[in-house]
Amino acid sequence: MMRSADRSDLQQDIARFYYREARLLDERRFLTWLDLLAPEIVYRIPARHNYVGENSARNTEQYHSLAHELSPPEEAPIRRDNLALLTVRAQRALAPQAWSDNPPPRTRRMISNIEPDPDADPGAGSKGDLRVYSNFLLSFSHHSADNHLYTGQRRDVLRPQERGFLIVERTIILDWNVITAPTLALFF
Amino acid sequence: MKPLPPLVNQDASFVSRRVFTDGDVYRREQQRIFARSWLYLAHESELKEKGDFVTGFLGETPVIAARGQDGAIHVSVNSCTHRGLPVCRAERGHAARFICPYHNWTYALDGRLLAVPQQALTHTQIDKGALGLRRVTRVESYRGLVFASLDDGIQPLDQYLGNMRFYLDNYFDRFPGGVQVIGPPHKWRIAANWKLPVENQLGDVGHGPFLHGFIMRNNSATTEINEFGLNVVPEPGHGAAIRLFPEGTDSETVMWGSENGSARMFSAETQAYLREVQDQLAGRLGPVHARIKGLTFGVYPNFSFLWANSVIRVSHPRAPGQVDYWSWWVVPADAPPAVKCELQSLYNASFGPAGLFEQDDSEAWSQQYLGSAIEQLDDQPYFYGLGLGEEQPHPLLPGKVGTSFNEHYARAFYLRWKRDIESAGDDARPDGEAR
Ligand code: FES
Ligand SMILES: [Fe+2]
Repeated sequence: MMRSADRSDLQQDIARFYYREARLLDERRFLTWLDLLAPEIVYRIPARHNYVGENSARNTEQYHSLAHELSPPEEAPIRRDNLALLTVRAQRALAPQAWSDNPPPRTRRMISNIEPDPDADPGAGSKGDLRVYSNFLLSFSHHSADNHLYTGQRRDVLRPQERGFLIVERTIILDWNVITAPTLALFF
Repeated sequence: MKPLPPLVNQDASFVSRRVFTDGDVYRREQQRIFARSWLYLAHESELKEKGDFVTGFLGETPVIAARGQDGAIHVSVNSCTHRGLPVCRAERGHAARFICPYHNWTYALDGRLLAVPQQALTHTQIDKGALGLRRVTRVESYRGLVFASLDDGIQPLDQYLGNMRFYLDNYFDRFPGGVQVIGPPHKWRIAANWKLPVENQLGDVGHGPFLHGFIMRNNSATTEINEFGLNVVPEPGHGAAIRLFPEGTDSETVMWGSENGSARMFSAETQAYLREVQDQLAGRLGPVHARIKGLTFGVYPNFSFLWANSVIRVSHPRAPGQVDYWSWWVVPADAPPAVKCELQSLYNASFGPAGLFEQDDSEAWSQQYLGSAIEQLDDQPYFYGLGLGEEQPHPLLPGKVGTSFNEHYARAFYLRWKRDIESAGDDARPDGEAR
């Protein structure tokens, strides 16, 4: 168990890291943002479905567990990026012939509900890795009056560094079934 | 005031902007195209067991497709005959019956009304036989692709597809174990007319190196397209954009799964699997098939297949400027799980709501709608005449064939479209004409 003073330090360190990350992305400093990623990063967006609850689980929390809604690994997710693909996306967003990003959208990322779970098992090969939940509200404004709001949760695995963290894993849980925003090719 | 030019001119080299934005045109499309065509609904692999169901749309009409106790696929309109609620709200699943939430009227997998819980509390005699869900009687499959039509008198699906079957076979009959659709579709709403995604996948290869310039400019896929690309119109309204390689081209170049060197990035197991499929193809489907590397296919009016990216698409109209675009991932059913997993990247790195390519496509389609809505330009139709008259019959390929930049796929589509919307209407809604 961590002492509560350590815990609040950790909370603050993570918040500082996320705020800087959000600012880099809103300022379109995508190449700098790539430095925050671990080489083995897995960046996913599962699809989110309407499903029928298993009758055997009725009246328990299992009945409407989020897990039923999220596409399992054998289904094609909306996104499953590695570092190479994230790098291409970052470079593309700064290239002239990337027409949906040129002129670029105006984005504003609000990160909240930051909840490190120091007791959770971050999985195999972990190097002091932490599981961290956070919520985001992303406002996206494109061209003259094409405005959209994105909401969702991020489930991260962060690796503590001497200064800050590296993102080892990020899973983005969106709150839509039919995607009503123009693109999910952004960085969340 | 000058009279407006026709929606589509005689050879469809000009198409009016109103084709995409006009409310009357949109309603006519619902009545004369979506109520009278074969529309893709599901893949048989999604409905394997009795009780398996998926929900979908025939145009704007919500339907359930379910494998009934009799083993047949039944399609019913998803609207209770009591007050109209949908009786099934999941995207797919397994059920013994469908229960309407409002008063719990209960329907069988084939849409028959089984129970009215309140009936015993009144003295009403209910003719349950007449109060089932509206059945869609025409349901037919081709190579596992299940189509349905709201038109009881429509020609058989085989005839409707005609020469398109040759091209569908190239993928849907390519793998010895057939193909499999995994998971419900990805769905996203685009502020565009439904015909733009359709047109794009029918054969708009020409935009590739330009709209997708960051990725496609000077890459090997573009070189292949310039050298070997063909736009085929198997039947007016259908389309197949392909590459036809010379005899003797090596398997690595032609095989499905190899796009711009992608196969070299796969594991040895996946590469071996893809090569084996390719090496058996001439024996399985014939020598011409073994030289075809597809790009995109379309079946009139709103089914598309992205051959190179193994996704089925349906463009669901919602309003003149709104489309719900659905995207199902398809894989060779007999591929080992690890191979299937690797093949995911063919789809969702490039396509889907987060695709490197598709993010530019969907933006272009939305912006096309804004341009089409400029009323002052109603007298300035769009030019669809690239390659006009250059399309020819081909010694090896069924249908009419042009180069990758010949827009005959779109001209043929809009000529069929025009014939359809101008056809006599027995409109379901009495006010259909007036709106
Ligand atoms: S509306 Fe369906 S039971 Fe009443
Ligand atoms: Fe495109």
